Amino acid sequence: MTDNRLPLAILGGWLGAGKTTWLRHQLHAGLQAHVIVNEAAEVAVDDALLSQAHGVTVLAGGCACCSGRDDLVAALHSLADQRTAGAAIPEVILETSGLADPAAIITAIADDPILVRHFRLTDTTVLVDAVNGAAELAAGSMAIQQIRAASALILTKTDAAPPTATARLAATLAVLNPLASLSASVAGVAVPLPALTAAPLPLAQTTRAVTAVTLPIPRGADWASLSLWLSALLHAHGDRLIRLKGVVQTPGGRLLIQTVRQTVQPPEILPTDHGTDDVLAVIGESPDVAALQASLARFLA
Amino acid sequence: MCNACGFPARAGHWTDAGLDSPHDRLRARFRRAQVLARVLRPYGLTAHDNGVTDGVILSTLAGASAIVTDPAQLWPTVERLAGRAFDPLAG
Repeated sequence: MTDNRLPLAILGGWLGAGKTTWLRHQLHAGLQAHVIVNEAAEVAVDDALLSQAHGVTVLAGGCACCSGRDDLVAALHSLADQRTAGAAIPEVILETSGLADPAAIITAIADDPILVRHFRLTDTTVLVDAVNGAAELAAGSMAIQQIRAASALILTKTDAAPPTATARLAATLAVLNPLASLSASVAGVAVPLPALTAAPLPLAQTTRAVTAVTLPIPRGADWASLSLWLSALLHAHGDRLIRLKGVVQTPGGRLLIQTVRQTVQPPEILPTDHGTDDVLAVIGESPDVAALQASLARFLA
Repeated sequence: MCNACGFPARAGHWTDAGLDSPHDRLRARFRRAQVLARVLRPYGLTAHDNGVTDGVILSTLAGASAIVTDPAQLWPTVERLAGRAFDPLAG
């Protein structure tokens, strides 16, 4: 079964992290995409910089994860309509405002019965400014929420920050979101991360420790019971389990499951391959592996 | 699916993924009802899927019951009937 849904990537990051600069370079380098730019302020400036995009939609005056959510949903509906009418849209990239929580946007799309059939969420890329990132992490919880929702993290402006500070920030990001891939870029061009080991930054006391654990899934576990358990777990503890990712066996083949808090992204069947199967990576506020294992075992028994 | 317009009434639930044939789907339904009946026993509930009704039937020992057709409503319905929160991690 081929998936004809339109790929949708989310690009996030704190104010001034370099989202537009990064995207501009990707478009210059040949990326074909319709770009939706969201600005929390009333005046949009970024769209002028994105002339190379396949098309641009500007959502100004409201952040797409909260006050501007209806505008975002309407813009995506309109893109879905255009595509149904025959417009060739290769891919959609949503550049969020610096204040947006990508997890809230993912939920908004997953909860819309029309959008879930038209869009396939690909990556959630979150940019972190190597110069100011440490201060943003110390100051606010939204910068941290953005990082936790990411599937790929990119450190920007690493040329302007000392390598030791960049290495420390990279170590901090690895603690905050161990599942996301981590890379660095300067003005949109990929650069290597400093090859230094550093201790993560001490995070504010208000930030509860987030840890990642891997939960082995017993061999031969049936998907019917496993999915029932997962739905119960997300219902009861979804707010404390920030991300869950794993590949499990189903009658239809290998299935990739990803969740962001209580939202489950539409699972994808993966080609038969040698991957890491039968483990579930869980990121949350101190998940208890033994309790999770015992609970799963009760459902599988 | 609505048999007049052919459009699904709601987006498929994620737990349906990976169950492509009617055979697999039916098997999964019965299996889920079986597991549910076991994990809900300490909550004073029974679960039964007769394969004909569109959904699993939950009942309390006092006789109250509900048919759950939407998997997203399963746990909220369990909690409403049981009168308390369902915690899969509580032994």
